[in-house]
Amino acid sequence: MKKVFLCLVIVVLSVFMFAKTELVFWHYWDGENGKKLESLIQEFNTSHPNIEVQPVFIPGSDLLTKIQLSVLSGQTPELAISDIIGMPLILDTGKVIDLMPYVKKENYDLNDFYENTLVYGKIEDKLFSLPVSSSNLGLFWNKELFKKAGLDPEQPPKTWDELIEYGKIIKEKTGNFGYELYLDGGEGTTWQWQIFLWQAGGEFLDSDSNYRKSSFNSEAGVQALQFWVDLTNTYKISPIAPWGLFGRGEAAMVMDGSWMTQFFPAQVDFELGSAVFPYPENGVPATNMGGEQIFVFKTTKEKEDACWEFIKWFTSTEVQIDWDKATGFIPVKKSVATNEGYNAYIKNTNRLLLPFIEVQQYAHARPPIKEYSQVSDIVSKAIISAVYKKGTPEKMLNEAASQVDLLLGRK
Amino acid sequence: MLNKKSFSVKNVFIYIFLVIGAFISIMPFLWLVTTSLKPPGKIFSAPLLIPTHFYYKNYIEAWNSVPFARYIINSTIMSLGIVICQTLFSAMAGYAFAKIKFKFKDALFLIFLITMMIPDSVKMIPNFLTIKNLGWYDTYSALIVPRAASVFAIFLFRQFFLSIPSSIEESARLEGCGLFRLFFQIVLPLSKPVLVTNILFSFLFAWNDFLWPLIITDSQKMRTIQVGLSYFQGRYGVRWELLSAATIFAILPSFIVFIIAQKYFIEGISTSGLKE
Amino acid sequence: MSKKIGGSQAHHFFKGNRISLLIFLLPSIIIIFVFNLFPAFYSFFLSFFDWNGFSQSKVFVGFNNYIMAFKDPELRNSIIVTLIYSLLVTFISMFIGLLVALALNKDLKGKSLFRLLYFIPVVTPSVASGITWKYLFDPYNGVINNILGFFNINGPQWLNSTSWALFSVSIVGIWKRIGFCMVIYLAALQDIPKSYLEAAEVDGANSWNAFRYIKLPLLLPSSLFLIITGFIEAFQVFDLIYTMTNGGPIGATDVLGFLLYRHAFKYFNLGYASVVALIIFVILFLLSIVQWKYTGGGVKNVE
Repeated sequence: MKKVFLCLVIVVLSVFMFAKTELVFWHYWDGENGKKLESLIQEFNTSHPNIEVQPVFIPGSDLLTKIQLSVLSGQTPELAISDIIGMPLILDTGKVIDLMPYVKKENYDLNDFYENTLVYGKIEDKLFSLPVSSSNLGLFWNKELFKKAGLDPEQPPKTWDELIEYGKIIKEKTGNFGYELYLDGGEGTTWQWQIFLWQAGGEFLDSDSNYRKSSFNSEAGVQALQFWVDLTNTYKISPIAPWGLFGRGEAAMVMDGSWMTQFFPAQVDFELGSAVFPYPENGVPATNMGGEQIFVFKTTKEKEDACWEFIKWFTSTEVQIDWDKATGFIPVKKSVATNEGYNAYIKNTNRLLLPFIEVQQYAHARPPIKEYSQVSDIVSKAIISAVYKKGTPEKMLNEAASQVDLLLGRK
Repeated sequence: MLNKKSFSVKNVFIYIFLVIGAFISIMPFLWLVTTSLKPPGKIFSAPLLIPTHFYYKNYIEAWNSVPFARYIINSTIMSLGIVICQTLFSAMAGYAFAKIKFKFKDALFLIFLITMMIPDSVKMIPNFLTIKNLGWYDTYSALIVPRAASVFAIFLFRQFFLSIPSSIEESARLEGCGLFRLFFQIVLPLSKPVLVTNILFSFLFAWNDFLWPLIITDSQKMRTIQVGLSYFQGRYGVRWELLSAATIFAILPSFIVFIIAQKYFIEGISTSGLKE
Repeated sequence: MSKKIGGSQAHHFFKGNRISLLIFLLPSIIIIFVFNLFPAFYSFFLSFFDWNGFSQSKVFVGFNNYIMAFKDPELRNSIIVTLIYSLLVTFISMFIGLLVALALNKDLKGKSLFRLLYFIPVVTPSVASGITWKYLFDPYNGVINNILGFFNINGPQWLNSTSWALFSVSIVGIWKRIGFCMVIYLAALQDIPKSYLEAAEVDGANSWNAFRYIKLPLLLPSSLFLIITGFIEAFQVFDLIYTMTNGGPIGATDVLGFLLYRHAFKYFNLGYASVVALIIFVILFLLSIVQWKYTGGGVKNVE
């Protein structure tokens, strides 16, 4: 009897010792990015035999809803990513763990991250998420149209004035539009316009009041919006039309994302150039940041520890270099952005991406507040109203500001 | 005769309008076909509606990108379940509302109609919680049962049954026919057009449903084809050539079901001829 | 022959046969009550709270959401936009759908092919439809303005014009619904026993009268169905708008379905979204009563 019992004990112990900690990981990376993630995860699982990370793909536009429902039903995945905009809402559930104890215990270097990427996860002295990928916006131009207009195809405009100048020449000499603005509304419009605002030295929401008041109706804001009105109405370089003209070769320049360095070359039949987006003579370079953060839902201590192991690994410089090389995402860590091997690789395989890597240091973070989507829609409506000449930039921005202040003041 | 086949001017005009209308109807479909046959570099260039390339590789790549076969099976099981239940339950309920007198009939029908007017978005969370509490999360039951009844369908059946002359039922009653026999053996066979119509629309609704299957399933093995399609609408950019190929895969069953359903409209010779 | 067509006289047949009646009704009742009625009450309950679906606590705010809704200019605009959209789409698609059904009900060569083609918009996913129509409506390079230019007409900005956008999306809505109306009417037309039509011939009625006095009344139940379902669909439509205009420009196409989506899935104002849902429901309910009364419950006696 004793022998049987002993055997049982040994079997049970062995099962526990070799039991893998299974971590379900929700993400929305599709296509090549998804494949790279899966191969990275396999690498991790192999090198960490006690842990098995299981990636689950959820379509991007619905990941936030799925996360919401999972919290409601009490059955959350262990790990998940989210677009930075969704983070404030996810943190509101109170079900995301604080990673700071791990950071402190292992002296994990947070300073290596670009400060603005931490804004969504670092709240006072707690850390709820870490950035794992980023993207930003820059200038693309159609070299063929430039040639056709007699412009040097290797010299993009560097200031707002040059943008207008080049735009006029293109319109005159080729009949095509000079520059395409995103006028389809929503965050797509807002986040483009924010760059112009920041370049003019302005701020979107007041950081001193913890983002509970508008700042976009400042002089810088009016200047930025007036520029959009000029592009569309005064100089008529930008059409008021649905998005997509640049891709069809009907507009010579556009502001678009770093991810397009992979899509454009495959989808368009003209040669492309990319550069840091032009900023006004008395202004500063700036760009807007997209990206994902990774976080852990409250679960058992054992699983949380395992999750940290994965996060630590995934956000390490070597893995991030590998990840960014394969996906074309912009580095979130300075050590990655300055890495020689990484830069050489990008030079050889995706030259178009270089300006986006360069401008990442000037990237601003959009305010990490729960009401961001609604604020964004209010502002984009004001921007489009001004472009449609329903009011002066000053008037439209002020009206939007009072609506936003009303909304944010309610809490 | 009403069926005079003549080459009258009127007919020619009708033809012209029909053809123009038909072309307008299929434009987006043409765009799908054309784009799905283009190599990636050409998707924004003309012509947009007429296929001039035949780059069939998109179809192969799309098929291999997601487990299409599994998704099709899931969609089929889900749709069949919904179609059968909806048609059966709704035909019965519709008949009750049309032809049987009972207390609270009008009030009940009103309540049913009212539920049609409540937007689906707000039903999502409570239904999700109900399914979770029933333990049906990520199962076929969750995909089928909540949609096994449909007020639209009940409404449709009611309207059609209302126009069946009462003489049929009276003569059946005189012959001693019970409710079930009357319904299944006499009324239903007379209602082929509405039955087929309802099957068609139930199927389409089920096949094209995206949001509910998305939130109520997790695993690859339960996913439906519409959720699979969203895979091609990438977070950062859409690969149109693949999305359109995948969409064609997803639409084809609808075509097939319609063509089959159509046959009943062609035959159309209503067998509800009164035996006077 | 009995001239009472479409008798709505209920029968006293089965008054005592409760069990049969229950079997006929119960499955539908259970499912609809659990998955449609209960959520409606839940949503109504939520309308008195402020909740984003994420936070662990729902804050009771009484009638605040209702007051906000009353003051919300976007909501007012949305109601008007939706009413216009539903009127245009429901009735025009019915009219054209009926014409097409009539044309394809006769012995016309290729009618089954035509029926399929006219039905394709119904099954074409909104993404494809939206993108294609956006191209067609493009103010500078779109086919429609190109054709107009041929006749020396300067076409409007369509989806990019605050005055034309609603009309443009309505066209797409109509386009999408015609096939559905066609099928419903075809089924109804098939139901008309040939004997009625032959009798009418014998009585000397010409084809217009045959249509007016026999076909039309028999199409009334279907028409009521199409009207009510048309409005219900129009008040919930969302993905076409999302693909084509995003509610713009400046709210010109901001239908209630899109507003509701924004508040429920983008801003996560679940309490406010419940109020919007309630408003949608109330409007649809009132409209349905009017439509029901006007068409006599979709039934008509023909002498």
